[in-house]
Amino acid sequence: MSLVRYLARRLAQGALIVFLVSALIFTLLRVVPGDPVRLMAGGMAPEALIEEIAADMGLRDPIYVQFGRYVAGILQGDLGQSFVRPANGAAVGGASFDDSTRGERAKVWSLIANSAPMTLQLALLAMIFALVIALPIGVWGGLRPGAWPDRFALYISSVFVSLPNFWLGIVLALLLSVKLQLVPAIGYNGFAYTILPAFVLAIEIAPFIIRTLTVSVAGVMSQSFIDIAAVRGLTRNQIVFRHVMKNSAVPLLNLLGVQFSMLLGGVLVIEFIFDYPGLGLLTINAVMQRDFPLIQGIAIVTAAAFVLINIVVDLAATTIDPRLEY
Amino acid sequence: MSAIDISPPAPSQARAKKISARIWSEAFSSIEFRIGLIVFALLVAAAGLYPWISDIDPTKMNIRGKLSPPVMMGEGWSWAHPLGTDQLGRDMLARTLVGLRYSLLIGISTTILMVAVGAMVGLFAGYFGKRIDTILMRLTDAQLSVPMIILAITILGVSRPTIPSIILVLGLAGWPVYARVMRSTVMAERKKEFVRGAMVLGATDWRIMFTLLLPLVLPPIMFVAVLDIARMMIFESVLGFLGLGVQPPTPTFGNIIADGRKYLMNAWWIATMPGVFLVLTLTSVNLMGASLERARNKIYAGA
Repeated sequence: MSLVRYLARRLAQGALIVFLVSALIFTLLRVVPGDPVRLMAGGMAPEALIEEIAADMGLRDPIYVQFGRYVAGILQGDLGQSFVRPANGAAVGGASFDDSTRGERAKVWSLIANSAPMTLQLALLAMIFALVIALPIGVWGGLRPGAWPDRFALYISSVFVSLPNFWLGIVLALLLSVKLQLVPAIGYNGFAYTILPAFVLAIEIAPFIIRTLTVSVAGVMSQSFIDIAAVRGLTRNQIVFRHVMKNSAVPLLNLLGVQFSMLLGGVLVIEFIFDYPGLGLLTINAVMQRDFPLIQGIAIVTAAAFVLINIVVDLAATTIDPRLEY
Repeated sequence: MSAIDISPPAPSQARAKKISARIWSEAFSSIEFRIGLIVFALLVAAAGLYPWISDIDPTKMNIRGKLSPPVMMGEGWSWAHPLGTDQLGRDMLARTLVGLRYSLLIGISTTILMVAVGAMVGLFAGYFGKRIDTILMRLTDAQLSVPMIILAITILGVSRPTIPSIILVLGLAGWPVYARVMRSTVMAERKKEFVRGAMVLGATDWRIMFTLLLPLVLPPIMFVAVLDIARMMIFESVLGFLGLGVQPPTPTFGNIIADGRKYLMNAWWIATMPGVFLVLTLTSVNLMGASLERARNKIYAGA
C-alpha cells in the first residue's frame, strides 16, 4: 500500500476516534449533576440571572444542538471559552456575580497552547532521564539472560514501579529541596524547576523501558545473525551497538506509543504536586472547577495527540525496520 | 516439540492444570517470588488482624496527643503509637492498616473486573471472528486511544466517588489489554483438533467457549494480572491523593498522604510513613507478579 493511502486511512480512523472521544466526554459532562452556571455566577446570584446567563450561553438547548454547535466550532479551530478563567490571568471561579473586574473569558485553545510547551519540556527531560537510567540496566540485563544483571533489572524495575509518583515526589521534594536545598521544587521560575518533576516522571517510565529492552535484547541475541556476526569477526561491542541496539529500537518505539496515556497520567499528578504550570495542572484545576469547555478541549487535544503519536511511531518503526509493512 | 505431533489431544482442563502447576512451581522456585510472598503475607496478616489485636480506632481523635512522632524518631514518641499520630491525634498505624485494606480490596476487585470484561470480549471476538471480531476489536482500539486518566478523573471529579464507582471506572479503563491477549490465544486454540472434534460431536458454541476454551486460556492470563493488582492499587492511591478516591473520614493511602502533605514541615511522618507501607505492599505484589510472568514466558517458550 502506498504511503499516502496509508496515511489517509490512519488519519481518517484517527479523526473518527477523536470524534467519539469528544461525543463521549461531552455527553458525560452534561448528564452529571451540578450546574456549572451556578459555579460561574457565584452562590449568591439570583435564580433569574442564572437562567439568563445559561440561556445566553446556550446551555439550556438540547444536548444534540449543543454538541452540533460545539463540533462546528472545533472544525473552525475554536474550542470555545473557559467557564471560569478570565482572559487576563488567574482563575476566579465562584467570584461574585456582579464583579465588574471580570473581563472576557479565556479561550480554551490559548489556555492549552500556553501550557502545552511546559508539559512538553517536562516530558522530554523525563524521557532523557528515563533513557539514561534504563538503557544500561536494560541492555545489560538482556545480554546476560538468567544471570545477575538480568535479576538486577527485574529487582530494580519491580521497585521503581512500586514507587507511587505522588509519594516519591513529596519525599524527594522534602529531602532534596527542603532539607538539602539542591534543586527548587514548587512552582515554576526557570528551567531548574523542571529537574525534580522530570526525575520523578523518569522513575515512573524507566521500568517499562527496562523490561522491554531486556526482553528484546535477549531476543535479538538469540538470533542466528548475531552468531554469524561473531564469525565475521566483529567484536562484541560492534555487535551490541550496531546490530542489537538497532533491532531493539522498534519495540522501544512501540512502547512509547502504547504508554502515552500512562505518561499522561504521570504528568497530571506530578504537575499537581510540584505546582508545575503545564497541561496536567490545567486538567486537574479544570476538573476541580467544573470548567467543562476546558475539560472537553483537553480531552480532545490529548486524544488527537495520542492518534498522531501512534502514526508517527508506526512510520518511524517502518523506517528503522524495513521488514515491517504499512 | 517434535515436528509431527501424533499424540491424541489431551483434555483441555487437564492440560491447563498441568501448565498452571508448572508455572506455579517455576515461579515458586525463584527467590524473588518467595520474598514477595512472605512480605505480602505479613502485610495482609497485619491489615487483617490489627482490628482484633488492638482496640485503637483509626478515626478516634485525641487533640492532646496530636503530632506525636514515630518510635525513636523525635521527641515525645511512645509505643502506644508506633507510627506516631497525625494532626488530630489519630493513630497512624491503625490508619495505615485500614488504608491497606481498602487498597487491597479495590486493587483486587478492579483487576478481577477488568480481566472478566476483557476475557469475555476477547473470547467472543476470537471464537466467532468475522464481523463480531471486527466490531469488538475496533471498540478495543478506540478505548485504548481514549485518555482514560482524564476520563476517570472527570467522572469521579464531577460525581461523588464511592467504592463501587471507583472500581467500575478503574476496571473499565483497563480491560482492552486483556481482550487482545485473550482474542489471540482463543484464535490459536480454536483451530486445534480438540475444538473441531467437539464441534463434530455436536457441542454448542456456548459449551465449547465456556467449558473447553475458557478454562484453557484464562489461567495463564490470570498470572499476568497479578501485576495489574499493583497498578490498580497505585491508581486507587492517586485518586485518593487527588481527593477523588474513597472519601474521608475513611483513611486510605491517598487521602492520608494528601493530608500529611500540609504538615510536611513539622510532621514529616504523616505523609511518608503510609507511603513506606504502600511501597512495601506494591513491591511484594510486583515481585510475585514479575516472577509469575517470567515463569509463564519460560514455560510457554519451552512448551
